[in-house]
Amino acid sequence: MAEGAGWQPPRPCEAYRAEWKLCRSAGHFLHHYYVHGERPACEQWRRDLDSCREWEERRSAKAQRSLCESEHRRVQAARKHTLVWTPRQSPPADWHLPLPQEEEDK
Amino acid sequence: MAGAPDWRGPGPAAGERRPHVACQAFPERLAQGKPQQGFLPSFSSNNQSCQLMLLKTLQTNPYVKLLLDAMKHSGCAVNRERHFACEDCSGNVSGGFDASVSQIVLCQNNIRSQAHMNRVVTHELIHAFDHCRAHVDWFTNVRHLACSETCVRDRAILSILAVRNISKEVAEKAVDDVFESCFNDHEPFGRIPHNKTYAKYAYRDFQNRDRYYSNI
Repeated sequence: MAEGAGWQPPRPCEAYRAEWKLCRSAGHFLHHYYVHGERPACEQWRRDLDSCREWEERRSAKAQRSLCESEHRRVQAARKHTLVWTPRQSPPADWHLPLPQEEEDK
Repeated sequence: MAGAPDWRGPGPAAGERRPHVACQAFPERLAQGKPQQGFLPSFSSNNQSCQLMLLKTLQTNPYVKLLLDAMKHSGCAVNRERHFACEDCSGNVSGGFDASVSQIVLCQNNIRSQAHMNRVVTHELIHAFDHCRAHVDWFTNVRHLACSETCVRDRAILSILAVRNISKEVAEKAVDDVFESCFNDHEPFGRIPHNKTYAKYAYRDFQNRDRYYSNI
């Protein structure tokens, strides 16, 4: 957890509010139910919004911890599936090279 | 659609590498050099229309803007003239990613509307993004191809069958093998971008990533 003098919430509080509103919208309910077969869980966005506001107003350490833990869980959830392919360490060598046809034309 | 682009014109069977794809597909280009503007009127107007729609997509579509930024961040900055080509294609194909030369081909004879162009460019940029960030074996590994096409199971199967000479059972097995992992790989969006609102939020998150990762 990155705690220090310069810590701020990972997202602006407005972003937590926007995510919460989107999560609770009818359109999102339909998309989520169609894809996953269950209703979306939106309460965590609300808790994160409250923590963000609490930190903004009172610099609450508890709110900071709560936000960090919540975002850690989100990152872990996103990374739990191993990739089918091997990540590259650098982009493909030929990405910026001229097309073979252009080389011939020279 | 990705991999060996036999839809770019007559040529070897799917799966074979073709070093000079454009020349083989368009013999008149080989003879005359670059296509003459106005020599083939329908080619010229289709080409011009394709170029204009492409430009509008690149400048305005939120899915595409996020993908372009993510690719630039990964070291694969996209140059319109180098990485896109508007060409005539055989069949009903809308476009493809030619991994052998790292170029997106847009089928100017089949893309008829701005909305269609937006969808094709988004789809092919996802292939380009996967090619940029991972060692994807487009030509011989059907599981890799299945992974890049995975969004909806049946459509992934159809996409694979369009570019590979394999049986439906093999295609289905490849998609089923990789579905769990690849369906949950939402990069670079971080979520399934059901519509432009999701894409805009994903772009906002992408632009915010430095603040995000330094504060968790």
